[in-house]
Amino acid sequence: MEFGSLLLKGFSVALTPVNLAWLLGGSILGTLFGMIPGFGPSTGIALLLPLCLGLRPETALIAMAAIYYGAMFGGSRSSILMNVPGDSAAVASCFDGYPMARNGQAEAALAVSAVASLMGGLFASVAFTLLALPAARIALRFGPPETFCLMVFSLAATAAVSRENLLKGLISLVLGLMISTVGLDSPSGVSRFTFGLEQLQTGFSFVVVILGIYGFSEVLINLETLALETARPLQLEFRWIRISMAHWRRSIGPILRQSPVGFLIGILPGAGAGIAALRAYRNEKKRSPHPEEFGKGAVEGLAAPEAANNACSIGAMLPMMTLGVPGSGTAAVMLGGLLLCGLQPGPLLFEPQPGIGWAVIASLFLGNFACAVINLPLAGFLVRILSIPPKAFYPFVVAVSFLGLYTVNFSVTDLYLLVGIGICGYLMKKFRIPTGPLVLASVVGSSVESSFRQSLELSGGSPSIFFRSSISSGLLIAAALALAWPIVAGWWSRWKVSKPAERPGE
Amino acid sequence: MRPNALVGFAAAILGGLYTIQVLRLPKAIAGDASSPVSFPLGLGLLMTVLGILLVLQEARRGLTNLEGVKRPAFTAPSLRTIFKAVAASLLYAFLFERLGFFVSTLGFLGTLLYLINGRRAWKLNAALALGFTLGAWALFVQLFELPLP
Repeated sequence: MEFGSLLLKGFSVALTPVNLAWLLGGSILGTLFGMIPGFGPSTGIALLLPLCLGLRPETALIAMAAIYYGAMFGGSRSSILMNVPGDSAAVASCFDGYPMARNGQAEAALAVSAVASLMGGLFASVAFTLLALPAARIALRFGPPETFCLMVFSLAATAAVSRENLLKGLISLVLGLMISTVGLDSPSGVSRFTFGLEQLQTGFSFVVVILGIYGFSEVLINLETLALETARPLQLEFRWIRISMAHWRRSIGPILRQSPVGFLIGILPGAGAGIAALRAYRNEKKRSPHPEEFGKGAVEGLAAPEAANNACSIGAMLPMMTLGVPGSGTAAVMLGGLLLCGLQPGPLLFEPQPGIGWAVIASLFLGNFACAVINLPLAGFLVRILSIPPKAFYPFVVAVSFLGLYTVNFSVTDLYLLVGIGICGYLMKKFRIPTGPLVLASVVGSSVESSFRQSLELSGGSPSIFFRSSISSGLLIAAALALAWPIVAGWWSRWKVSKPAERPGE
Repeated sequence: MRPNALVGFAAAILGGLYTIQVLRLPKAIAGDASSPVSFPLGLGLLMTVLGILLVLQEARRGLTNLEGVKRPAFTAPSLRTIFKAVAASLLYAFLFERLGFFVSTLGFLGTLLYLINGRRAWKLNAALALGFTLGAWALFVQLFELPLP
């Protein structure tokens, strides 16, 4: 069977000592970044990004993926022990994880969350394995118009799910695309928006944007809470962290039901692990015969979001790796890492030379087991990091951002730009403008423009080319629906709230 | 003024300025003359329109009506810390190649740690700054063979 031989080949690459070492290192780093409130997988991968230059592409991608799902495992540690989510994906884990810990079941909560994450991750890895090749083969048929429309759909969907305001999401998106237009336009040789500065001829490296938003501005935002007393973990000494048969019986149903939900939400552009975890929590609460137990330490309320958020993180990698279109800010950072390694993300990672794509898939299986080991027997040791206030890490995050960025182009100009983007990101966060669309757009911006221009060249300048094939038309319709959805949903919810008395029979 | 209206104004102004810059771009000599302009022109116009739409959306609720609006909080102490961190970062960028990696990184980390931990923890700050600088040198220069100034 084709899958079997390709997967075996992937395992042979993933099991090399170097790849295994980076897989373990990435899993530990991801767990730690997920655990520390204020940081998350995006910051972890962003800081690793410059090091990608020194690694083989498959090694870099294996390490970045390990940080991503490692953070999903780690994020729940601080939710359970401190009632402070490590990142947005772990918010739902606070609802029942923390009450369990307060009820003297911290070990059980840590075990349930790790096992649920493992099961969710394994389900998603199997689904990824089955879908990768068909998706890559479909993508191989894409020409420039289809590629452009796919990116428009992905960007539109990402902006549309911005929690604050659709218009602000779109403004962030267009700003990211604007940033990508700075520098020498290589097809025409025209310098754009460089204001005569030679240093800007090469444009804004997307690494500057990624590190500015996920590294520097994240620290600036966190500096505001410096004077506040930080939460402390409920306990740091643990008995045996293991899942009992009673907890297993209560967890397995939610895990099996919500892992597919998390995976599907992950594939959708824009919807992140936080949304997947909350959706899974609501689903389980709705179908539970004892919804009143939710929020008071229900095992189901912890297992469901944990399985969903890990499945989601793996699902989010599928469009990035097979179609070359990232569906989230974190996936955009990973895509940036691939571009830095000189690879073109998309179907070519799977065909005709399948080594890299399948090595990453194989690493998903290995990495999820590695994360389970890190988060079960070693959890008692790792969670000691929670006793260190997060502010202690800020200087090092800033310094690593600067040093890492310098090694990409060996240019001091990039360091000044990093500060500028960091301040911009800080203001965006203060004014509640989503930063994910900006990062996404700055990474794929040049591809969007080149596919747009190639399409117009093919059609002699006529935009009708974007409506000629059913794929591109369908994607444009999907983009329009994605943008219309928040407006329609807003009307619908307002109508439901304000009109019940006017509806017949009510 | 409502914060979203401010965002809308800023976006409209940015879009307008960007569009003016696009119109001042030289035409391509080879191939389609307008090819380097068409995509950015669309972006500039779109940004302007989005900014205006956001202002109009907020104007319907009253531009100065702040009832129920969560305004971004800027407190003097936090702004001071952020200003110092940004100033230290700019100085670090300025001195990085002039003083070299070791001295500039040591000074930069020392400053940031002082901002966070205060003067009383100077021994810890010095040890952490030195430890990190040596560790970063080992990682970048020794392990990854990336030259630092």
